[in-house]
Amino acid sequence: MVQSINHQEANANYKAKKFIIWLFVVSSTIMFAGWTSYYIVFAASKSKGHGLVLPDMFLYSTGVLLVSSICLFLAARAFRNGELAKQKTFLWATLLLGVVFGYLQVEAWVSLYQSGAFLVNNNAAISIIYIVSGIHLLHILAGLLLILSTLLGAYGKIATERLQFRMEVSSIFWHFIDILWIYLYVFLLLNS
Amino acid sequence: MSTITLHDTHKHDGHDAHGHEHHKETFLTKYVFSQDHKMIAKQFLITGIIMAVIAMILSILFRLQLAWPDQSFPLLETFLGKWAEGGRIKPEFYLALVTIHGTIMVFFVLTAGLSGTFSNLLIPLQLGARDMASPLMNMLSYWLFLGACLVMMGSFFVQTGPASAGWTIYPPLSALPKTISGSGTGMTMWLISMVMFVASQLIGGINYVSTILNMRTKGMDLWKMPLTIWALFLTAVLGILSFPVLVAGVVLLIFDRSFGTSFYLSDIVIGSQVLPNEGGSPILWQHLFWFLGHPEVYIVIMPALGISSEVISVNSRKPIFGYHAMVYSLIGIMVLSFIVWGHHMFVTGMNPLLGGVFMITTLIIAVPSAIKTFNYLATLWRGNIRFTPAMLFAIGMVSFFISGGLTGIFLGNASLDINLHNTYFVVAHFHLVMGSAAIFGMLAGVYHWFPKMFGRMMNPKLAFLHFWITFACAYLVFFPLHFLGLDGVPRRYYAFTEFEFMQKWVTVNVLVTWAAIVAALAQVAFLFNFFYSIFKGKRTTQNPWSANTLEWTTPVEHLHGNWPGEIPTVYRWPYDYSKPGAEEDFIPQTVPFSQTMSSNVPHDFDGNTEAERIQEEWMAKQEKAEREKVD
Repeated sequence: MVQSINHQEANANYKAKKFIIWLFVVSSTIMFAGWTSYYIVFAASKSKGHGLVLPDMFLYSTGVLLVSSICLFLAARAFRNGELAKQKTFLWATLLLGVVFGYLQVEAWVSLYQSGAFLVNNNAAISIIYIVSGIHLLHILAGLLLILSTLLGAYGKIATERLQFRMEVSSIFWHFIDILWIYLYVFLLLNS
Repeated sequence: MSTITLHDTHKHDGHDAHGHEHHKETFLTKYVFSQDHKMIAKQFLITGIIMAVIAMILSILFRLQLAWPDQSFPLLETFLGKWAEGGRIKPEFYLALVTIHGTIMVFFVLTAGLSGTFSNLLIPLQLGARDMASPLMNMLSYWLFLGACLVMMGSFFVQTGPASAGWTIYPPLSALPKTISGSGTGMTMWLISMVMFVASQLIGGINYVSTILNMRTKGMDLWKMPLTIWALFLTAVLGILSFPVLVAGVVLLIFDRSFGTSFYLSDIVIGSQVLPNEGGSPILWQHLFWFLGHPEVYIVIMPALGISSEVISVNSRKPIFGYHAMVYSLIGIMVLSFIVWGHHMFVTGMNPLLGGVFMITTLIIAVPSAIKTFNYLATLWRGNIRFTPAMLFAIGMVSFFISGGLTGIFLGNASLDINLHNTYFVVAHFHLVMGSAAIFGMLAGVYHWFPKMFGRMMNPKLAFLHFWITFACAYLVFFPLHFLGLDGVPRRYYAFTEFEFMQKWVTVNVLVTWAAIVAALAQVAFLFNFFYSIFKGKRTTQNPWSANTLEWTTPVEHLHGNWPGEIPTVYRWPYDYSKPGAEEDFIPQTVPFSQTMSSNVPHDFDGNTEAERIQEEWMAKQEKAEREKVD
């Protein structure tokens, strides 16, 4: 009886903390919605978009990010099935692909820069490409840290519930930034 | 059984990752880096009070300039140095004063000071939780807020002075460091401070929402929550949905200022120098800013509305009139607040059709606002009113909400607003409806929950003095400003004597400034009362106001985890005051219906037929006993 009360309180706390991540997802979505609405109003009032052919690097990075999300999904499934070695492998894969994504984004900026589409630009629609992809990259950085903490937890000796909590939190966040990037990429593709 | 639970709960907390009571509490962990929600609430409150005093002093400084524009005050030069050479406040500094006064009051006092204090204090206590969902984030929220305050105050000590572009920091003025001295380092610090502040508010708000939705005690369903919690909940939701847009706007502004992009800039010539920025639009800043900015004014007022609901109900000894209507009108205000931002932009050359849409949505807000007002009045109606200090401030809040809200109807009309925009009429309107009303709500909360926070009572006599002077002076300050506005006197002007038609208003300004000075002095009564009572006030009983809500079931002495044993279960809504048939005029939420058979009504059971049957049987038995006694 006593144990179950304590258990319930602890569970409620994990549930509440997981909910925090969801709320963060909401507020972050709204921030990006702020920028894309800026873009829409700007493009409508000037009747011009960024007018670029987006660098191929963005396409490759999108693919890499998608694969990383699949890896994380497999890691979560391995964890549920108790296959801890497999979980670690997939977590490492996710981490690696996340870093590759970051590299490809920087490459994309380089090719944008080389094509003459600078950040400091009289077409704010071009500048905003750098802003959204840059802030998104900051989110990736945070996501990588979450995955790293899950990995450390998987190697260290922490309670299964805590590890599960970390696993779930990094899953929610990583899949979110994956979908967020797809949204941004498609948005920029459609509104050239 | 209960002792076992008590013992075990403590053991559990110690093993929990965030339990801290097994570490020895030092001064640092208890008062400074505290993760206890009650301590964080006090930190928010005291920081908020200090910021409020600073912002109030700033307002007195610019009021001096407005009342006596040509007079020299050598004392000012002593204190302000080059900002008041010859004892007269410089125009640049005047603009800085107005800007920082607005920023501090809106963000630091009425957002963080109000929501931060009462969300932290009341959410776990009124819902029956041991602490917030994440105490660590809660601590972080306070420290980011304090950092924001320090950076903002730090801008007074840079060469070029604090930000001066108004609290709305419209570009291009704010985006170009060369335009005015206040757009230099001061503006950069303003932006840094604001980014920290928004981070603090988001972290805090996310935590509040998660706590409310996940950590309520047994029996506390959403429709049994006190209206304070409803208001704080919807405020936090509003913050989560609107502050990120401000971040989006501020990031673009930072890039315009520091990296040379053209998000908000186009066709600008400074002196004879043509700037390279091309293609941006300052109107887009206004859209992004006011998409936050309008919800922000409801972030300011909604906690005050919630606190007033609670205080008025407790001190009228009556259930709040229209509990559900109160909640739905808060929800209505919240939803509407997202689609009215255009009414701040009627004079930006907005398409009149779009202006019409914003006008209609704006005027619809009058409906939920009126519902709330009438419900307050109906709660007071024939109540057994106790004029405690908190009650007076809550009634004062309703008064300001009405008198300031009525002028909102004027300003919401695009055709009237075009005349009144940027006049003192707007200043008068928002200082009454969101300034005075919100600060009175906050003070009501401070007087009401002071015993909960510090275990002592505040002196009621000093509190009455504080109330009456502040109330009278607030009206004396802001009411005359309506007439200045109707006459077309523009806001933000430094020199009143430069324009023929404004000169006659200088005498009114003298009255307003004197009223402001008296009001400021009245706050000394509050400050003394507050800080003196923390240490020397009369000790409080557990439930000094005979209130129903859960926070009064905790012991007077604070302890980590709030309740020594199990968290109490909730059986009823929080407004069972003066229920016919009850022994006392209040029934706490923790009293089950089985203990109050004589006062139960069928409506209490929410269609639970078993409970209704038991109640009917009991009544029949009572009646029979009664009849036998008569025979």
